[in-house]
Amino acid sequence: MATTDPVKIIVDGREVITTKGTTVIKAAADAGVAIPHYCYHEKLSIAGNCRMCLIEIEKMPKLQIACNTQVAEGMSVLTQSPKVLAVRKAVLEFLLINHPVDCPICDQAGECMLQDYYMEHDRQESRLEVGKIHDRKRTIFGPHVVFDGERCIKCTRCVRFCQEITKTNELAVVNRSDHSTIALFDDAVLDNPLSANVVDICPVGALTDRDFRFKVRVWYLEKTPSICPGCSTGCNIKVETYQNKIARFKPRQNEAVNSHWLCDEGRYCFHELAGGERLTTPMIRQEGGLVPTTWETALQAVVNGLRGGQALAGILSGRNTNEEAYLFAKLLRRLASYCSMEVFYQERPLTEVQKILMSPDRSPNFRGARDMGVSSSGGFAGLMQELTANNFSSAYIVGEDLLGANGDNEKIRSALERLSFLVVQDTKLTETVKLAHVVLPAVHFGEKEGTYTNRQGRVQKLNAALVAPEGTRQDSEIFLRLLEGAGENLDYSTPAEIFAALAKDVIAYNGLNYDSIGDLGRELGSGGSAGS
Amino acid sequence: MEKVLLRNIDVPDLSTLTTYRSRGGYASWRKVVETLKPEQLIDEVKASGLRGRGGAGFPTGMKWSFVPKDSPKPKYLVCNADESEPGTFKDRLLIEQDPHAIVEGTLIAAFAIQSHTAFIYIRGEMAFGATRLEQAVADCYQAGLIGKNLFGTGYDLDVIVHRGAGAYICGEETALLSSLEGGRGWPKVKPPFPATHGLFGCPTVVNNVETLAVLPWILERGAAAYSAMGTEKSKGTKLFSVSGHITRPGVYELEMGYPFKKFLEEDCGGVPDGRKLKGVIPGGGSMPVLKPDELEKVNLDYESVAAAGSLLGSGGVIVMDERVCMVRAAWNIARFYAHESCGQCSPCREGCHWMEKIFHKLEHGQGQASDLELILNISGNIMGNTICPFGDAAAMPAAAFIRKYRDEFEAHISAGHCTVRAE
Repeated sequence: MATTDPVKIIVDGREVITTKGTTVIKAAADAGVAIPHYCYHEKLSIAGNCRMCLIEIEKMPKLQIACNTQVAEGMSVLTQSPKVLAVRKAVLEFLLINHPVDCPICDQAGECMLQDYYMEHDRQESRLEVGKIHDRKRTIFGPHVVFDGERCIKCTRCVRFCQEITKTNELAVVNRSDHSTIALFDDAVLDNPLSANVVDICPVGALTDRDFRFKVRVWYLEKTPSICPGCSTGCNIKVETYQNKIARFKPRQNEAVNSHWLCDEGRYCFHELAGGERLTTPMIRQEGGLVPTTWETALQAVVNGLRGGQALAGILSGRNTNEEAYLFAKLLRRLASYCSMEVFYQERPLTEVQKILMSPDRSPNFRGARDMGVSSSGGFAGLMQELTANNFSSAYIVGEDLLGANGDNEKIRSALERLSFLVVQDTKLTETVKLAHVVLPAVHFGEKEGTYTNRQGRVQKLNAALVAPEGTRQDSEIFLRLLEGAGENLDYSTPAEIFAALAKDVIAYNGLNYDSIGDLGRELGSGGSAGS
Repeated sequence: MEKVLLRNIDVPDLSTLTTYRSRGGYASWRKVVETLKPEQLIDEVKASGLRGRGGAGFPTGMKWSFVPKDSPKPKYLVCNADESEPGTFKDRLLIEQDPHAIVEGTLIAAFAIQSHTAFIYIRGEMAFGATRLEQAVADCYQAGLIGKNLFGTGYDLDVIVHRGAGAYICGEETALLSSLEGGRGWPKVKPPFPATHGLFGCPTVVNNVETLAVLPWILERGAAAYSAMGTEKSKGTKLFSVSGHITRPGVYELEMGYPFKKFLEEDCGGVPDGRKLKGVIPGGGSMPVLKPDELEKVNLDYESVAAAGSLLGSGGVIVMDERVCMVRAAWNIARFYAHESCGQCSPCREGCHWMEKIFHKLEHGQGQASDLELILNISGNIMGNTICPFGDAAAMPAAAFIRKYRDEFEAHISAGHCTVRAE
């Protein structure tokens, strides 16, 4: 086990201070020396099977694997000696002799460690003049994962992931020698809630993502660091886009939140949240239904319809940012003498494996939005009870389809129908939108910038990965225009400026600075100075 | 020379407890439990100079002393009866004919490390041997030689006979432990070593059948009597299984340091029918082949065979006469390793099959001159770079065959067919 006792080692002639119990591969990585490897993964047990990380240690006759060698005081490690470079080339040759080298049709191409290390350490023509070993192709492992046995280098990262992280044990190595391959146990399906992580940790193209497969070459992807909108765990992700569409989510390592992982539900939630036909024109109810209108008319109609209202209900999506929630709360209090507002919230039971990452809600910024004042004493359930008891005369619903998300449809539908004025701000034509008096086309999580506060109270940054469709407006901008229309002139408009305002206003956020949130977020209460 | 391991081998019904005891069997076991402290036992075996007979020749007493005495975990003694090395059948003789010597040795070794559970892991194919060992263990339970409160001393010891499933690799001690744990027979990455993290993560010693079977004799006659035999560094006697083109094949017990050439020619009667010797593998299929001229000064002990460029290994002596096609022999051995590689680490998994395919090509007259260098290069890339010694075991013979019989390989390449067997 790693302790805090300092140990000095020499890596390629350079002194490196590390701690007792650290492995050479980790100590070298911390010092900026990347030792090539396949089977080693810092969150999995040591397998030592790929032999790519063999390095030379002075006074030891044989090369040693850096992943399984603990540092010792004064140990001198050579990662670039002729012996080491030769063995890397040899190991790569072994790994590649039976590989189909089908990079042109392989999704992994461009982010494949076989390709990268080949270019770096091998660069020789194949010396294999006898036939290659064949293995299963296109084997479906589960709903999200497909396996190509010929591309597999048997590093067993996927097997170990299912043994050690999810403990669901779907995968195993079967057969022997060069016919060794990865397989599902009889009757098993790789469908655990974290299954697609095996695609991320597969260093080669053996495991690919059925959802992403053949969609786009990875070098065309633009990658934007952001936060998963799936639930309030707030897993750090990269939103990877192509031609202004989300192609995939990939987890982004953050040891305070999700480590290297992302659950399947979160990974694929962008289809639901960002897909489908978009609303791109504001609409207003006239006799005969909703008709398109201008933003000016729509916003004026909202101000007129809500101002001075007797009893206003506000429901904000848990995917709205802190900045939006801050403005929404301000707006509703400004418009109505009596208003009650809440963040949409629904829980579902989770299995033990789901609990590794997932939160019971699907509202990533539930905590943050309530911190901003979008909260009421009875919570979301209480507000819905009041709504169905017809205690409100008007309502402003943002980003949630109350009719689609609740089993109690008819009751809610009749309650919404009885409202004298209903504003719905959303991205798609939902059943709730169809009941609105004014419809405001807004943007989704992938098109906006701002902050989410996850359930542990970590403020994290959402970044715009896509350009929003023409005709839509940012939620924050809509709220600002409405505040203006209601007579409140604010001297801030960008997410950073709004954050600065809320950080002054909301006690728990005092001292937090938008720029210092960075890619890994800040714990509430950590202020602007100390790290997280 | 006085026989040690084979002293009783011709006694009828030796495999029964009654006969074994009538020859003094289990007296050593009783003496150990009743009179010796574990440290005294370890010191006695250290003093005997006994080295592991599984192939590596590691000093047995020292191996035992690596087991931590203060570990709160259970300790395990495992008898490695997974004899599978090509050309090796010495353990099988003991297992089938003298199972009680193995059981008694297992008990003594278990006591040395204060283990209360010992396993005998026997190769799956040795069905008859397994029944012999199972019977021996059952009879010992019956007789109070295994079980609870042995000889009234409070010492408990159970012995479990476990049959393997037929993988050569499970003779490698950590693969054996993986298999015994119920897992895939894969060697474990070291460190940690079995002495501290072995079976189920507990301190474990794995000893070969022959190593264990000699312990009763050492305890009966004393360390000095054992170390009086053999050479300076290779003490005692060793079993050799001789097969191939030899007049009297079989299992022989020799004092360490016995001249190899004399052994083959006199004890084993030499190559039959006046044919000439072409090569000898001294220590099982994993070891480099020796040419007749290399045998001249070799004695059968660890150091002398190593000095000649091979290894004593398991003592599996494979004799090949002039009719043997060395290309085909090399291919045959390569095929064995390609088939038996566990597939865990890259160099062995990929390299063994690659070498096998090239040897196949050469034997079938489709080789080219560059293939020889290629095999040497592949074997060099495997050597020393794998998780367990299997990689070396596959690489060493491949390289040795090419280096020592290169002319024969070249003849195959230029003729386009086998030039030896055709005649």
